[in-house]
Amino acid sequence: MNFSLYKHMMKVNIKGVMNYAIGAAFYIVLVVWIYPGMEKTAKPLNDMLSAMPAGMTKAFNLQNGFGSFESFISGEFYGVLFTLIVSIFCVMVPIQLMAKLVDQGSMAYLLSTPTTRGKVAFTQASVFLTGLFLISAITTACGIIGVRIFINDANSFHVDRFIQLNLAAFALFVALGGISFLVSSLSNDEKKAMGISGMIIFGFYSLDIVGKISEKIDWLRDFTVFTLYKPADIVNGKGDVIQNCIILFAIGLIAFLVSILVFRKRDLPL
Amino acid sequence: MLTVQNLTKKFSNGRGIFDVSFSVKKGEVFGFLGPNGAGKSTTIRHIMGFMKPDQGYVKVNGLDTWQKQGEVQKYIGYLPGEIAFIEGMTGKGFLDFMAQMQGVKNLSKRNALIERLQFDANTPIRKMSKGMKQKVGIVAAFMHDPEVIILDEPTSGLDPLMQKVFIEIVLEEKEKGKTFLMSSHSFPEIERTCDRAAIIKDGIVIAVKDIHELQTMQRKLFEVTFNNDEDAKSFLNSNLQIESHEGNRVRVAIQGNYDSFIEETAKYHVRNIAIFTQNLEDVFMNYYDRSGDLK
Repeated sequence: MNFSLYKHMMKVNIKGVMNYAIGAAFYIVLVVWIYPGMEKTAKPLNDMLSAMPAGMTKAFNLQNGFGSFESFISGEFYGVLFTLIVSIFCVMVPIQLMAKLVDQGSMAYLLSTPTTRGKVAFTQASVFLTGLFLISAITTACGIIGVRIFINDANSFHVDRFIQLNLAAFALFVALGGISFLVSSLSNDEKKAMGISGMIIFGFYSLDIVGKISEKIDWLRDFTVFTLYKPADIVNGKGDVIQNCIILFAIGLIAFLVSILVFRKRDLPL
Repeated sequence: MLTVQNLTKKFSNGRGIFDVSFSVKKGEVFGFLGPNGAGKSTTIRHIMGFMKPDQGYVKVNGLDTWQKQGEVQKYIGYLPGEIAFIEGMTGKGFLDFMAQMQGVKNLSKRNALIERLQFDANTPIRKMSKGMKQKVGIVAAFMHDPEVIILDEPTSGLDPLMQKVFIEIVLEEKEKGKTFLMSSHSFPEIERTCDRAAIIKDGIVIAVKDIHELQTMQRKLFEVTFNNDEDAKSFLNSNLQIESHEGNRVRVAIQGNYDSFIEETAKYHVRNIAIFTQNLEDVFMNYYDRSGDLK
């Protein structure tokens, strides 16, 4: 870890991180805020959902319906919005931290100072993880505060499950970010890296959705990390949240480690 | 101080550098000459440890630059050929950051350099001209007082006055015993500072020569305009190497034989003598041809 570099990179990236964090926090407060209005119409909405094919509702994590606030937020926010917003973060930021510096050549300056490539890669990974953590923490905090303000029946809200939900999401993004960081560490071309990372991450997302639609193609979900992230199960207290989180964190950790190793041994066109 | 030994790197397109060897002594300014795409930057990338050699090694101060990444950089100052700074900073912000990364505490050298190169360090980098960026890069390469300074085309973008200042700085540092490697595609730039130079073409070092030797090998093209066509015609009979002749103008190639050139032209009334700037291949044309035959 190189603290001068860490400090500097945080300074450069904090604005971008805050944009994502504020965006996500704004959405969660919005979703919490509109829920009391939705609750009244929950019955017809649920009827509508049950009229839809089961695969469709499952694909978009809506199988819990709109009956309770938790099922609503797990489906609406953690199932779709938050996943998409932070997935974009997971594609873009590792590229900016690694591939872009190599592509533009400013990596030459970092490596011309007495620091090792391993340290540079480790520091950049730390910057990404710090950013991701800030986004998750701010979203979680805003969610909890939002519930206290807007939801009348706040007692039925399980804070522990809500935190688990956020932890699971964080674990998913660590895995996605790790994969994207690995692509970025291997690339000399910023645009190419973005294309590949984007394809992998949104490919995973699509496999998960398509796999859920029909039982017959359920095997598709064996090839995507999104399978390990089940917001609907978490709010119902079902499934092994901790085990899934550990697997996701392990995927992320391995990807970051491999990134550092390959970056140390690679020819750089600087 | 700096040793490049049998350095070979082949790229998938068949280009690369092949068996490059030279060494630079402490306190020496070494030029690295070659046309664009000859392998100068590839060699420098190996010196900086950005690439892993297929064969051979580069040592700076006895340390292998690929294996001892992070340690060897303590002794090196580097000016990249294509300067790319980290975005969103001012010149001063960048230099502060680099000083931190290099672990420089004493900023007096930096401030003195900024003073001499005369630029406003508080300008945001994205608003800087090419020359101004080059100045920031030069400060970054010198400010931590390194033992070995690697400069990739250092004067590109600098105006003649600043080129002069830059050469002064290089010569002062040389006095203090600093070692330099300077790449360039223009001979005049190398001529003014270097003790020795290597000429590289198509990835092969074809000569490592004393700068005075290179000066005699250098081929210059002069265009002499005579008073009348007859003078020009009789000038053709001198044993100088004539490139072309048109009316009262004669183009003549001179390689070390300046005395006979002056003697011959002094016989006539001369209206004008112009010197032609040539690319490196033309400057060392004979040399390149000869080594081409050797291959």
